[in-house]
Amino acid sequence: MAQKVLIVDDTAFMRMTLKNVIEKSGYEVIGEAGDGEDAVSQYKELQPDLVTMDITMPKMDGITAIKEIKQSHPDAKIIVCSAMGQKPMVIEALNAGAKDFLVKPFDAERVIEALKKAEA
Amino acid sequence: MRDPKLDLLQELGNIGAGHAATALSQMLDGQKKLQLIVPEAKLIPFEAAANIMEGTEEEPVVGIYIQVSGDAHGHMAFILPLDSAMAAVELLTLDSTGELNEMALSALQEMGNIMITSYLNALSSMTDLTLTPSVPGVAVDMAGAVWQSILAGAQVAEHVTLIKTDFYTDDDPVGGHILFLPDEDDFERIARILGLGALG
Repeated sequence: MAQKVLIVDDTAFMRMTLKNVIEKSGYEVIGEAGDGEDAVSQYKELQPDLVTMDITMPKMDGITAIKEIKQSHPDAKIIVCSAMGQKPMVIEALNAGAKDFLVKPFDAERVIEALKKAEA
Repeated sequence: MRDPKLDLLQELGNIGAGHAATALSQMLDGQKKLQLIVPEAKLIPFEAAANIMEGTEEEPVVGIYIQVSGDAHGHMAFILPLDSAMAAVELLTLDSTGELNEMALSALQEMGNIMITSYLNALSSMTDLTLTPSVPGVAVDMAGAVWQSILAGAQVAEHVTLIKTDFYTDDDPVGGHILFLPDEDDFERIARILGLGALG
């Protein structure tokens, strides 16, 4: 059965781009969230196998969302996809429980590679 | 003698903009080969800041702007002519209708966000300062109006340090300006970190 993915990004364009890339590789995108709060509630509701998480978002940023999701679901597999690739931010995301950190702009293969690694 | 601070700012602008250009090139690449050049990173004295769009004030543009916080503060913007923005939209979304719809604005917002954040990432790795971008805003208006509202948002008092870099592509479609307004006090700190000592 296809692995289920939740995409979290505040721009519709990036959600569309990620969805195209992810679905082409045989994953099923079961939800899209536009901010951290939405991500936390959709995670609870949909129980995805994998999550792609942006950092800079309105209402709740991605780091806070990772922490909240991890608190109730310690096994959550989350990959960060953010333009904000500064070292302290990468370390903070990994400490919060992210499996990988992709800096935008990224290429399609790198996204799939990270998903495969996270699901293993 | 030229102020060493200006040289440093220009160099920071060159490196930051170089990274932003690379990011833009990566985003647009694969659909069309683009060559980006960064011909000028200049410092505009502040009295002139309000007039930097002179001559093109009435040109329709798209502006993407971000507030910088963290270890240093400032404002950044990416401003590009509307036709250039639409060329970028076509390359990013493969939508050639020329409509500035919601998805087009979203693509431009993300393009500006990635470029500006790449610029900040480069400055961060040079200085070891965390430079956190805000969620970007997008405006579509005449160049003069967009720039005035960015300056107003930056709450510039009587002095502004401005690094402006122009972008071109050799076979035209996408070009624009990337602007960085660092907070003066924080800039002094950056200069010290980079070994320039006390600046007069």
